Amino acid sequence: MAKQEKAADVIEKESEHHGDEAHKAPGTFVLTLILLVSFAVYYFANWKALADVWHVR
Amino acid sequence: MTTMDPTVEGAVAETPADAAEPKGNHLPGLSRICGTTGFTVDLTAQKFIQLNAVAAVVCLLIGGIAALLVALTRWPAVHLLPAEWYYRMVTLHGLSMLILWIIFFEIAVLYFAGTVLLKSRLASATAAWISFIMMVVGGGMVAAMVLTGKADVMFTSYAPLKAHQLYYLGVILFAVGTLIGVINFFATIYIAKRDKTYKGSVPLVVFGAITAGIIAVATLLHGAAIYIPTWLWALGVIPNMDPAVYRLVFWGLGHPSQQINVAAMVSVWYLLSAITVGGKVLNQGVSRVAFLFYILFINLASAHHLLVDPGVSAGWKIWNTSYAMYLAVLASMIHGYTVPASVEVALRKQGHDKGLFGWLGAAPWGNPGFSGFFLSLLIFGFIGGITGVTLGTEQINIIAHNTLRIPGHFHSTVVGGTTLAFMAVTYYVVPLIFRREFPLRAICKLQPYVFALGIAMVSFGMSFAGSYGVSRRHWDIEFTGATHAAGYDASVHVWLALVGIGGIVAFTGLLMYVLPVVGAVFFGKKIDGKMTPW
Amino acid sequence: MGISAPPADWFKAPSGTERAWIGLALLWCIVLTLAMPYWHFKGKQNSTGEAYAVEPAKFAARVQSFVASNKVDEKNGIPVVEAAPGGDAYLQAQMWTFYPILKFRKGQTYRLHISSTDIQHGFSLLPINMNFQVLPGYDHVLTITPTMTGDFPIICNEFCGIGHHQMTGKIIVTE
Repeated sequence: MAKQEKAADVIEKESEHHGDEAHKAPGTFVLTLILLVSFAVYYFANWKALADVWHVR
Repeated sequence: MTTMDPTVEGAVAETPADAAEPKGNHLPGLSRICGTTGFTVDLTAQKFIQLNAVAAVVCLLIGGIAALLVALTRWPAVHLLPAEWYYRMVTLHGLSMLILWIIFFEIAVLYFAGTVLLKSRLASATAAWISFIMMVVGGGMVAAMVLTGKADVMFTSYAPLKAHQLYYLGVILFAVGTLIGVINFFATIYIAKRDKTYKGSVPLVVFGAITAGIIAVATLLHGAAIYIPTWLWALGVIPNMDPAVYRLVFWGLGHPSQQINVAAMVSVWYLLSAITVGGKVLNQGVSRVAFLFYILFINLASAHHLLVDPGVSAGWKIWNTSYAMYLAVLASMIHGYTVPASVEVALRKQGHDKGLFGWLGAAPWGNPGFSGFFLSLLIFGFIGGITGVTLGTEQINIIAHNTLRIPGHFHSTVVGGTTLAFMAVTYYVVPLIFRREFPLRAICKLQPYVFALGIAMVSFGMSFAGSYGVSRRHWDIEFTGATHAAGYDASVHVWLALVGIGGIVAFTGLLMYVLPVVGAVFFGKKIDGKMTPW
Repeated sequence: MGISAPPADWFKAPSGTERAWIGLALLWCIVLTLAMPYWHFKGKQNSTGEAYAVEPAKFAARVQSFVASNKVDEKNGIPVVEAAPGGDAYLQAQMWTFYPILKFRKGQTYRLHISSTDIQHGFSLLPINMNFQVLPGYDHVLTITPTMTGDFPIICNEFCGIGHHQMTGKIIVTE
């Protein structure tokens, strides 16, 4: 608990000096990159599936 | 203000003592200070948050029972209901979940955001009563018409398919009640601003709630534009309903109303990030502009329902699918970054700074408020978002329209996303607003995982079955008794079984939510001071 | 935090990985946007929504005359009708069947007219999984070219009443 209490103070300080330093969220960035890659794979696989059906206009 | 997380001791005590804080505008004797968070809670608002939340959970249970029956009918090995009752239950399920449960809960969220977070009282108790009663009566009429077989028309009630006029009137009453609730929320924001109960800009969560409120007004006006003529048509006043016009205007209601859910859900994500880990918003400007995009580019999704319709040109479809370059999609992708980043930054600051994902491992996964929120984020982004944009691509819709791929998509947005987020926030609403302790806490802690697993199974099963062409809203995949023989690839049996089993798992997760909530609200230990931390 | 008032000067440009992600996401949105017009001109599968107003009774009459002049066979009392390559073909959706059975040749292009004589239906071609909306009052024209041979069931995938799940039709494609 003592450790967390201290941590809360750190957040408090941080929110007072907002934006003074760049926020580091490398894990989130990697997560979103995984999302983007899955998105692209699914999206283009669907175009491929569409290309295989009868022609229609 | 540091963090509301009750597990962080002494984190909140300093807030009420701060002399520079603006004063609330509560009526004497009609407010209380929350022993856990230090927030001032308006007792009138509290009552209506409770009423709407209880109505929401009742509708969730009804819709859940219908869902289980539907899932067990689509599982070919079980094929539970007769055809007539299958279609009836699909209709009831759609209405009670997508309209009743979600909107009752959203009204509760709006009342919370407008009052507690802004230190304001609710603008009007009378309006809140009128809103609530109209919603209950309207919702009851709709359910009664559906259950008595007078409205076997599905959620969409596509004209010229016709229901009993009281069905449409019920929807209209519910919608007007909702509109009154939303206006009451805006009036609350107004008096908070007038009475200077807050300084500067509103908190981000309130900003998101305002976004949802604005979209709700636009959507409900579309609702009036379609349901009032349709009601008059059912009464015989208007002779004809053009089916294409019906579809166009109906989806002006139908899809933007999902944007209400998205905006409300994202607000709840920010709220839970703050409550559970002390999450900090990285860049207020970015998050707010992303909310603004939802309002500005909302109509985008309406056209998604008309992509293989006659009478709307390719140019119209492409433009309305992508105008302003998918900026509403961009908005969701931005929140998809900023929300987990707020968690990551907070946890790293608390010392969980090891490697790329050390913070994720150290996150409070035993807290259902956190696990529900984070699983909602993952399901919404990875399944809902990706499938939604793809199926909503003009030409790709040819291989998706009206197949099970469509419900496969929206069960991962509106159930795995919105519903799960609302469930997660309930783990704080009950102790903080109802002031009751949860019984069966071990079940609560497990609940988000069970529900998320079930919904993911349902969503995957539907999506794969749909990619073989399996129709949505369809009773018999064998086409018994049809003029021309038809059928699907044998593998769809596996995918539909996954839907059925996933349905059982998700329903179990739903009961694991409803039972502890009911237990807490009616029989839970009263909380006088602080809630027991999760 | 999302639940407390932001500092007065909260509006600033994004930085770091947040900025990078917004850039990437915007780039992806541009790709999504351009893909559709690209496919409209270069792709072979497009839903142009070509349609004409038509009274349900008049459409039924067109179907009848199409059947009368192009009938080549009969299966279980239902006419099998072969359209002329490049010409018009008619398909009537009604509770709860698609009428008549159509016969096409692979690689030939047809103007397939679909409409409903009662309520909304869905045209879903199996096992290929191509889907189009069918509305009463609208003659929906699909300029369609079969690329494979065989028997292809049509099923209805828009709810149309209690017989919905028995509503089927058929297209036969030969060399």
